[in-house]
Amino acid sequence: MSLEAFTHSEPLTLGVELELQLVNTHDYDLAPYAEDMLRLMHKVPLPGSVVPEMTNSMIEISTGICHSASEVLGQLSPIRDALVKSADKLNIAVVGGGTHPFQQWHERRIYDKPRFQELSQLYGYLSKQFTIFGQHVHIGCPDADAALLMLHRMSRYIPHFIALSASSPYVQGQDTAFDSARLNSVFAFPLSGRAPFALTWDDFTAYFNKMARTGVVKSMKDFYWDIRPKPEFGTIEIRVFDTPLTIERAAALAGFVQSLGAWFLAEQPFMPQEDDYLVYTYNRFQACRFGMDAVYVDPATGSHMPLRDHIRMTMDQIAGHAAQQGASNALHMLCNEAEAGQNDARWLRERQREEQLLAEVSRRAALRFRG
Amino acid sequence: MNEILSFWAQWLRPSAGLPTVQWSLLLAVAAMAGYLCQRHTGLPKVVGYSLVGTAAGLAGFSGAVWPLQGIGLFLLELGISIVLFECGGRIPLRWFRHNPMVLVQSIAESALTYFAVYWVLVWLDMPAHVAGPLALVALAASPAVLTRVVADTRAAGPVTERAIVLATLSTLYALTLGSARAEQINRQSITLLDTMYPVVVVLGVSIIVAAVLSLVLRMALRFMSPTSENTSMLLLALIAAATAVAAHMGGSAPLAALLGGMLLKQLNPRPWAWPRQLGNASSLLTMLMFVLVSTVAAQADWSGPVAGVVLALIAVRLVAKAVGVGLGNVGSGASWRQALWVGCAMTPMSSIALLIASQFVVASPSTGHLIARVALPAILLMEVLGAVIATVAIYRAGESSKPWAPLSRGGNGDRSES
Repeated sequence: MSLEAFTHSEPLTLGVELELQLVNTHDYDLAPYAEDMLRLMHKVPLPGSVVPEMTNSMIEISTGICHSASEVLGQLSPIRDALVKSADKLNIAVVGGGTHPFQQWHERRIYDKPRFQELSQLYGYLSKQFTIFGQHVHIGCPDADAALLMLHRMSRYIPHFIALSASSPYVQGQDTAFDSARLNSVFAFPLSGRAPFALTWDDFTAYFNKMARTGVVKSMKDFYWDIRPKPEFGTIEIRVFDTPLTIERAAALAGFVQSLGAWFLAEQPFMPQEDDYLVYTYNRFQACRFGMDAVYVDPATGSHMPLRDHIRMTMDQIAGHAAQQGASNALHMLCNEAEAGQNDARWLRERQREEQLLAEVSRRAALRFRG
Repeated sequence: MNEILSFWAQWLRPSAGLPTVQWSLLLAVAAMAGYLCQRHTGLPKVVGYSLVGTAAGLAGFSGAVWPLQGIGLFLLELGISIVLFECGGRIPLRWFRHNPMVLVQSIAESALTYFAVYWVLVWLDMPAHVAGPLALVALAASPAVLTRVVADTRAAGPVTERAIVLATLSTLYALTLGSARAEQINRQSITLLDTMYPVVVVLGVSIIVAAVLSLVLRMALRFMSPTSENTSMLLLALIAAATAVAAHMGGSAPLAALLGGMLLKQLNPRPWAWPRQLGNASSLLTMLMFVLVSTVAAQADWSGPVAGVVLALIAVRLVAKAVGVGLGNVGSGASWRQALWVGCAMTPMSSIALLIASQFVVASPSTGHLIARVALPAILLMEVLGAVIATVAIYRAGESSKPWAPLSRGGNGDRSES
């Protein structure tokens, strides 16, 4: 199987996917209602799409092609409202967050779709442990080479994305001490982590062909990288975000990605190096573990600084581009929360400290998602 | 059997009395039978409990008297109350606002069941004053059997949830109307006031007890965690007290518990975590309930003509419930296939039907005898057969978290006993 051609897309256009939890309203455990939700949502005319995910307590919504964060929010809002209405009809609730705080992985059931069944056969229990919920952001790139350049530039900001979106502190009923424990589950998959350092589409195609020849991969879908090219859309897809608790935060994160992309394209601020990846895993770990309190090691200089300082510094750098993309409000919101050390993981922990009941934390998160 | 028991009574004089020993041993056998039944056939444990109770009843076990009274009646009511309290808590009233078709579905299946069973029994030459109460007995699906089947198959999903809710609502109607009808059974002239008065009394007293129960629990939950063992014990103790008081004051203990659960869910929308904590005490009570029901039901007078009526009642009830669920399914958010499995999952009849039948027998022994002659075999059959049908429905709906396979062959038997 060969790599498909990189389709043309309008630069800096956005597409957002959100994986969401379906929970019952009795004890707020995950509930296998994906098929029912899809049936009800199918009747409602909406932008974007609603599709099943790996296990049948999950659902994925996505926007169509958007030009700004506010358009993302404009598309996510009616989808969210329709989801909430369908969930009310079925007596369930829809919740954001990167993990369900207390679900037991062995109780999950794989959604009845050939690809998911195949993955379940291959990965065994890992596929059920993959009941985790992420946000994916696609950003349009001018051409294939520009896409790879943007991918490796964007890699420097993976810790920023992780800390700002982290919403998975609890796994299997326990506080993991991580702000984003979700990414640890992704790491179990053999083709996860960073993409290979290829800055031209020819080099990348050569890599893909070698991998395909080994029989390990058949398509780009088999790579679980943090950022991967999506040739059929003409985008790169950033996959490290936990699903936030609100669609407003999801749209703001898309705005942040778009502003960074605009900065890269307009100013070509730096050239990515293979050596950038020397600190990649360390920075990624810091952001997952400590969230806003993480330490960031600058790959270019090797200097250490609080991640939240680097987030503020970055946002100052790209403020002009954010204004051009209509993302100033989004960046302002994220920046304020970063300064306060606030993210969704902290919100969840605060609720648990008050309530001492993870099911109640899920209920409160479900109320928050309703907007 | 009686000779053996009388010899045993003379030979053994235990401190807690012979009935305690008899019941303890019967429950021990039932526990083993339930386990083996699940392990070797994949059927829920409740089938094993019921078969042991049936065997004991047919063999003339004297530990359970009919009509139910005293401690036997209290234990049955307590078992039902605990199950119904939990089921009541699964019914958030806001759901009916968002999806009124579920309520329509419930009323459709209950009304259709009542009238279909009534008409068929009258057509089979059953007197109207017997057919009416029997139709009320047939109305009640069994949330008790259903929740045990769900626990054993570790099921979750739309069919499971809706079947539990519809079974609970049918129980609500059956308890209210059954208790009220039992009050009227001996009255000659029936005016509208005569008809309404007992309904109002049963409902009124049950609502008052339910309100007190839910308010006390609401208060306790302000400072107690629902996951605490002590909260579970508090819950069990309060339900026991409410059970004893409600029946004494002219209400219905199970109805009070059911309404209490619904009210508490309204007052306290926080998640219900305690069913996982209730643990072995409530499981033992539930097992006792199933053994008691089948032991008593097996003591019915069996005869050929009665068997025909019983089978007709069961068949009509099964069809009526399935059709009723189907009729109300339009616009309720469920598929037709799911409606079929919901209808099947609602076939079990058990303790609540027995309790209602018992009320009729106590209220009027002569009419009650005619009612019990048909009701008891029907209850016995549908406790076992209904559990099997409900299990098949849940598996076929794809809502069990493990495949249907005898655990000994599946190689994961120990894990299912968590």
